[in-house]
Amino acid sequence: MKLRVAGIGVLAVLAWLLPYQLDSYLIHVANVVILFAILAIGLGLVMGIAGQINLAQIALFGVASYATAILTTRAGFGFWTAAALAMLIVAAIGLLIGTPALRMQSHYLGIVTLGLALALTNWVTNAHIAGGAEGITGIPAPTLPGIDLRNDYFFYYLELIVFALALAFGLFVVRTPLGRKMRAMRDDSLAAGAVGVEVPQLRMTAFFLASIYGGVAGVLYAGLIRYVAPETFSIANMFLLLAMVIIGGRQSLVGCVVGAVALSLLREVLVDYPTYAQVAYGTIVVLTVVFAPTGLAGLPVRARGLLQRLGWLRRDTGAPPKLGDFRPYDEVERPAEQVILRIDDVSMHFRGLKALQEVTMEITSGEIRGVVGPNGSGKTTLFNVVSGLYRPTSGRVWLGERDLTAARPHTLARAGVARTFQNLRLFPLLTVRENLLVALDQTSVLGSWRYALWQPGVWRHDRALRRQADELLDRFGLTAFADAAPGELPYGTQRRVEIARAMARHPRLLLLDEPAAGLNGEEVRQLSEIVRSIRSTGVTVVLIEHNMGLVMSLCERVTVFASGRVIADGTPAEVARAPQVVEAYLGDSAMSEDVPVATATEATR
Amino acid sequence: MQVFLQTFIGGMSLGAIYALVALGFSLVFRTMGLVNFSHGNVVMIGAYLASTFYLSTKLPFALAMALAIGGTGLIGVIIERVLRPLENKDFDLMLIGTIGFGIVLEAVAIIIWGATGNAVPNPVPTGPLEVLGLRIRTYDLVVLAIATAAAVLLVFFLQSTKRGAAMQAVAMDHEAATAVGIHVGRSNAIAFMLGAGLAALAGGLVGPLLYVNPTMGGALGIKGFAAAILGGFGSIPGAIVGGFAIGVLDAFTAGHFQGYSELVTFLVFTVVIMIRPTGIFGERTVNRA
Repeated sequence: MKLRVAGIGVLAVLAWLLPYQLDSYLIHVANVVILFAILAIGLGLVMGIAGQINLAQIALFGVASYATAILTTRAGFGFWTAAALAMLIVAAIGLLIGTPALRMQSHYLGIVTLGLALALTNWVTNAHIAGGAEGITGIPAPTLPGIDLRNDYFFYYLELIVFALALAFGLFVVRTPLGRKMRAMRDDSLAAGAVGVEVPQLRMTAFFLASIYGGVAGVLYAGLIRYVAPETFSIANMFLLLAMVIIGGRQSLVGCVVGAVALSLLREVLVDYPTYAQVAYGTIVVLTVVFAPTGLAGLPVRARGLLQRLGWLRRDTGAPPKLGDFRPYDEVERPAEQVILRIDDVSMHFRGLKALQEVTMEITSGEIRGVVGPNGSGKTTLFNVVSGLYRPTSGRVWLGERDLTAARPHTLARAGVARTFQNLRLFPLLTVRENLLVALDQTSVLGSWRYALWQPGVWRHDRALRRQADELLDRFGLTAFADAAPGELPYGTQRRVEIARAMARHPRLLLLDEPAAGLNGEEVRQLSEIVRSIRSTGVTVVLIEHNMGLVMSLCERVTVFASGRVIADGTPAEVARAPQVVEAYLGDSAMSEDVPVATATEATR
Repeated sequence: MQVFLQTFIGGMSLGAIYALVALGFSLVFRTMGLVNFSHGNVVMIGAYLASTFYLSTKLPFALAMALAIGGTGLIGVIIERVLRPLENKDFDLMLIGTIGFGIVLEAVAIIIWGATGNAVPNPVPTGPLEVLGLRIRTYDLVVLAIATAAAVLLVFFLQSTKRGAAMQAVAMDHEAATAVGIHVGRSNAIAFMLGAGLAALAGGLVGPLLYVNPTMGGALGIKGFAAAILGGFGSIPGAIVGGFAIGVLDAFTAGHFQGYSELVTFLVFTVVIMIRPTGIFGERTVNRA
């Protein structure tokens, strides 16, 4: 930690003294490099942290510089007034460009943002007000009392301060609840929704942040160069910026800055051979994605791994951390019985496949309900409908008195529904502690205005969340794994992390999808202890399970599914004797024709 | 009505080009799940190769085209081989990798052929036909005929040959395809080669219609990609319909909005794709939990 502070201090002093070593050409280069660094932080936030492909970052940069240019030269505003208005405009355009992210992701989002960027370029090259292909000259220099910003040396210090603030703010976002939610959404947007992250609002927030960074860089660009032209927007520049972020390491903001500086310098060295520079950075991009996807920022970790493999660096060979015991919750008095979940005549069809047909069931508060049935009988589909991943074809889902049919997953999570997934959906690039922290945070994305106006509040909130996370880690015996990546943990431990994450939201209804799959005998025993303790706090538990021993010993009532229908419902002993259940499990000639069809379709889904 | 039809016909020939570009995108995407953002640059390389063979070595247009297809096919194989470690793993990284290839291809084109472009004379130098008062350029008809032939051959290949069937199998489930003994890597390489060949075909044909220059790949690639998505990404009929849709849309916006045509085209595309993200023939994707 001390080393890091000292390092930052040295870098800051060097950056402050840099202008004394540079001639008037190089200081100009340095000023442009800083602008690219600010842009790269913005692109890193939206793409590397939030996972939204944004090929319009340069366009946002252009919007801001054009807005500043038009407002100062055509409308006669002063520079700073124009800059403030330009920020509003760029934020609005950023939200507009981000809107498609609500409906599509990945390559679709890439092409749409690229198309919109081209549309903007097309507009400025044609619009009279934007000066057409010639652009706009004669933008007045920004003024500050006592400082002549027409001087590139003074402008450098202005940029340096803005850059330091921009980087600090970016890092602050990444390490506090907002950034954690973004990283969770990037890793697994479905699971993020299921733990209450408002995915749509968060995607818009990511684009908003990117547009603020683009806007700041754009305004500074207008003030520095005092001339804008359509080339500012060009796709070639967009790809250059993208290369900076990828080469630097998109998931690390510092990496993005390093990439921006490195590529800018490379371009400067090859300034007389721009095409060869282009070949060079294109090739480095290809090599980076294939051989070092984490970019320059990931090199220290990779180098460490290599040294350990070669035996030059000792691995820490302490005893492997052990999974602690679960510390039961304090029991509370069982609440009065009422129907907490009512599934009313729900059907779910995928084209021809009828995954659920007219399913009706009621679950009483405080019970442990088992849901069993052959593979492909619709159990997981039922969970997906209840947790909001699917919108049922017909029928309604009531949570208590609220009709929550087709509500968004995060709405359901906030209403008190938590779930685990059959195939484990932990956020792979977050630590175990961060996985829990994402779920623990109950604040809304709309509360993110605090980031702009009241950072200490955010900080205090984060500290409180971390205390709760420690408590939760301790309760589930996971303290030893707090800083590990989920993928490194044994399977049974991962299952427990997922239950802890679901419990982090203090749900009223907990849906467990095959929690015992892949667990050994001892782990199954611990699981049943955990589930009982969870129920003793008044939480209603529904579990899908194939382990009949567990179901019979744990559940008070069992609902049996076959081919998308409820075929039996009652106490474990009752359903075990029901002839239709025996038929569904052991089969007769009529049933065995149905089951394989359903199985095959589930496997491909 | 006359003007409407004339514009419509004008859009058809560029539409056929977009359809060929979109076919290349979709073929590669459905087989290996890779979105090839360098596809537009491959089209540009194809256009340069075809025009160079045609103009400087005085080869017949068809032969020049065949050589160009061979050349870009090789580029396609190289791109696939380099990015193979990422296949079926990280979608976004692969996409960025192809952008890297696009950057390199564009720079290489500038190094070889220079930054300025060259015009390609019409290889079918006959006057336009007059049909019902509409003027139809003969070269447009040639473009349409070749594009149709290419689409028919592609469908025949995918549906009626063993190699094509194997590619379809890889498209549906690459693990199951491996299990029944299909070499997935080779199948992907062929898909990429065919996609690049289609790109060269589009590039060679578009040469006499537009101006051949190093940055032509940008607009062609993005519009071809938009066409593929509009039709339903990965769908062969979708690519064809989407291509013609973008071509005709382009022609109409050029007629009505002049310089702003690109702006309008992309806004319309964005709105359509927001309303129906899966395109015209696309499968509705289902969340996998």
